[in-house]
Amino acid sequence: MKSTKFGALLFFIALCNPLGAMAMKDEVQSFQLKNGMKFLVLEDRSIPNANAYLFWRVGSRNEYPGITGLSHFFEHMMFNGAKKYGPKEFDRVMEAAGGSNNAYTNENLTVYTDWFPAEQLDLMFELEADRIAHLAIDPQMVESERGVVMSERSTGLENSNFRAIWEEVKGAAFRAHPYSWSVIGHESDIANWSLQDLVDYHKTYYAPNNAVVVVAGDVEFEQVKALATKHFGPIPAQQQPREIHTVEPEQKGERRVYLHKASVSSPNIMMAFHVPSASHPDYYALSMLADILATGKTSRLQQTLVFDKELASNIFAYFPESIDPNLFYLYAVAAPNVSAQTLEQGIIEELQKIKQEGVAQEELVKIKNRKLVDFYREMATINGKANTIGTYEMYFGDYRALFNAPQAFDKVTADDIKRVATTYLRKANRTVGVLAAQEDSNENDL
Amino acid sequence: MKTIFKTLIASAAFAPALLWAGEFTLPAYEKHQLDNGLTLYTLEQHEVPLVDLVLVVKSGAVLDDKPGQAKLTAASLLLGTQALDKAAFESKLEFVGATITADADLESSILSASFASKDQAMVMQLVRDAILTPAFDQDEFDKLKQRYTATLMQKTESPKAVIKDYFNDLLFQGHAYSALVDGSKDSVESIGLQDLKDFHQAWFRPDNAALIVTGDIDSKKIKQQVQALFANWQGQAKQKPLLAKPSTPTKTKVLLVDKPDAIESTFMIGGPGVDRNNPDYVAIQVVNTILGGRFTSWLNDELRVNAGLTYGARSQFDSLGMGGSFYMSTFTKTETTKEAMELALKTYNKLWSQGIDAATLASAKAYVKGQFPPKYETSGQLANLLAEMFVYGFDENFINSFSVKVNSLNTEKAKDIIHHYFPRENLQTVVVGKADAIKDAVATFGELEQRSIQ
Repeated sequence: MKSTKFGALLFFIALCNPLGAMAMKDEVQSFQLKNGMKFLVLEDRSIPNANAYLFWRVGSRNEYPGITGLSHFFEHMMFNGAKKYGPKEFDRVMEAAGGSNNAYTNENLTVYTDWFPAEQLDLMFELEADRIAHLAIDPQMVESERGVVMSERSTGLENSNFRAIWEEVKGAAFRAHPYSWSVIGHESDIANWSLQDLVDYHKTYYAPNNAVVVVAGDVEFEQVKALATKHFGPIPAQQQPREIHTVEPEQKGERRVYLHKASVSSPNIMMAFHVPSASHPDYYALSMLADILATGKTSRLQQTLVFDKELASNIFAYFPESIDPNLFYLYAVAAPNVSAQTLEQGIIEELQKIKQEGVAQEELVKIKNRKLVDFYREMATINGKANTIGTYEMYFGDYRALFNAPQAFDKVTADDIKRVATTYLRKANRTVGVLAAQEDSNENDL
Repeated sequence: MKTIFKTLIASAAFAPALLWAGEFTLPAYEKHQLDNGLTLYTLEQHEVPLVDLVLVVKSGAVLDDKPGQAKLTAASLLLGTQALDKAAFESKLEFVGATITADADLESSILSASFASKDQAMVMQLVRDAILTPAFDQDEFDKLKQRYTATLMQKTESPKAVIKDYFNDLLFQGHAYSALVDGSKDSVESIGLQDLKDFHQAWFRPDNAALIVTGDIDSKKIKQQVQALFANWQGQAKQKPLLAKPSTPTKTKVLLVDKPDAIESTFMIGGPGVDRNNPDYVAIQVVNTILGGRFTSWLNDELRVNAGLTYGARSQFDSLGMGGSFYMSTFTKTETTKEAMELALKTYNKLWSQGIDAATLASAKAYVKGQFPPKYETSGQLANLLAEMFVYGFDENFINSFSVKVNSLNTEKAKDIIHHYFPRENLQTVVVGKADAIKDAVATFGELEQRSIQ
């Protein structure tokens, strides 16, 4: 997993108020440099700061066996020195100017985030342009960074049950498409990819025509445009990266995986169903289905399994935006002394109910209300604004899709929810992962 | 992800302070006191149609009779009121997209709600009922206990989730600050509904509480509503036992917490910190930024960037009313445990052997000032700041002197800060990891005690 905490991963986009959305629609301004690099700008003077979110169309879906995890590793290497600003200088110079940064990689994208006092925009663009145009890949830095990424990988597995079982479920659910491996990659690949792999990756994917930059905060559009032209304009465009043409063959039977971890206090279950990409019309109904199932204490799975039947101590749904068809996840931690089997049966019964009886109108209204308030929560910060605009641009093809989302969610009916539940939440279409303390070996078997 | 620094710093008690080149100031707020002693803060911010409402009580786990009592009392306030059962209470809030949480830490208990401004009157009524007339239903309490105990067991699956409890226990031995806020399986088992009622009765009193309403509000209207809803909240909080300053450790100790299936070692090394109202609080934060409070900090630079031993290393001060803690923390694979601990200590010693030069100090000063405004951008962040001001008794003077204090720090003063506030002797260490593999190595760092993770 490449994002921050899981809570932040739960898709947030989604709003139902045309008025709120429309107000912002007029405020987003855009331009494109001759080399194809696109900029979206939102002026916002609420604090004397600004940000730059650089979205790159490269993630683990662009990898293949042997270089799994390279997108994420590359994200780390982008901080390890370029032409004007050598090793460590990117961070040192930025922090000395009052700025800070971070970055994340997921299955689809790599995103770099800079947060800074607004008057430092010139310097921020200079730093970014230096590493985009002239990254220096120092063999020594590569070696020490392998250790850092190994540590990032193991601390995730040590502290997060979700992460441990997620790798296994993805591996089983996808046998052809690159969503099969985790974003952090296989341990042996982290240890072995070559310098040339890194050089090729930079040339292919870190081309200006493969990026969208969102700037939000106390800046002026014309100033952003002038500085962007100055710093990023001279960077040459590259040939478009190869399309990812692999289509995961239809799953025609349930797949199951088991993972043993001695310190787990009660079984954890992950259930994943194949679903279409974010650009598919069913995205909106599936997004609402995820909320109906598991957002809030009054959601179906929480109400029934956590509070009424006491089969689970925690349960959530995870339906990430995705460029290619991906998975719709349900994750549950069993209550003490409840078996994985009993918990799984409890979840299935609830899914069955939606497929047979559908959902109430009131549930739909509740979810639409929640999406609206969540949208305002995103809009309360310049970072929330930049991230939301960029996310729509990357996953839905155009940031303006953000402004059509209200109607799209509003159009979803109770029948749509029942239909998508029936279409996708099928046994033959699911992969089930169980993580538990019991060893998967016994005297009656092998 | 490049680093987990951002989330880590967000969780630290980072200097709430402000004024950035005269451009960024705390929005105006109003403070009133009702006749019954309840303090009301209002702060208007109309950027989005949202309201944040916080009810904070100046009592937390240091006042527990049984570990976990404050925490469970807070949680039980969301299990329904005398007018609405749990399901009805939750439905009303969730139908309009409102979120509500209740929690306790060592010195305060906090109920927070976030919602659309159009629902303000309804939510405020529910919050009032949750605080003044909670249901305290036996059946719901029993179920809460079951769920809560399960989460305590799950907590032991993650070294990061438990290590701070062990560190506080080691550092504050014998002092109320060693209280286990979450409680243990056994202590929670011994807590009955009456214990919650007792805690509520003793401390949820208007003279011990503040109501904070921020965001898209009309302060005048809020004042009237609060008067109407809370004026009849009666009673006075019990007299609090006097809390002494925590004592300073006299021995270098190592607590090894065994997790037999660990694939890495997680450790904290530190000692006494400072109280929240220490006059040098801001200066201490700036110096700590250099040691372990940002990506280019010494600890992260040495352990991560140069040595590749870890994904992240940092240090921080956690401040409370009568004292606090300082600690460095990181994690590394089992085989490099000793190497990482040695390097952390060696880097820490640079504070004295090398000191801080003018360029490094200038960079840290620019950094804390530049990163300051986004910490107080939303009505929720501002509500939490006001709650902290109420609990620890500081006001906007502290806030408004932030940049002045940062600017006045020079290398001489930084040297004084290091000598006064960064613990050098008798450091306390906690390591969570595979004891079989690392016991001999960690024993070289101080007097060893070993426990099992639980």
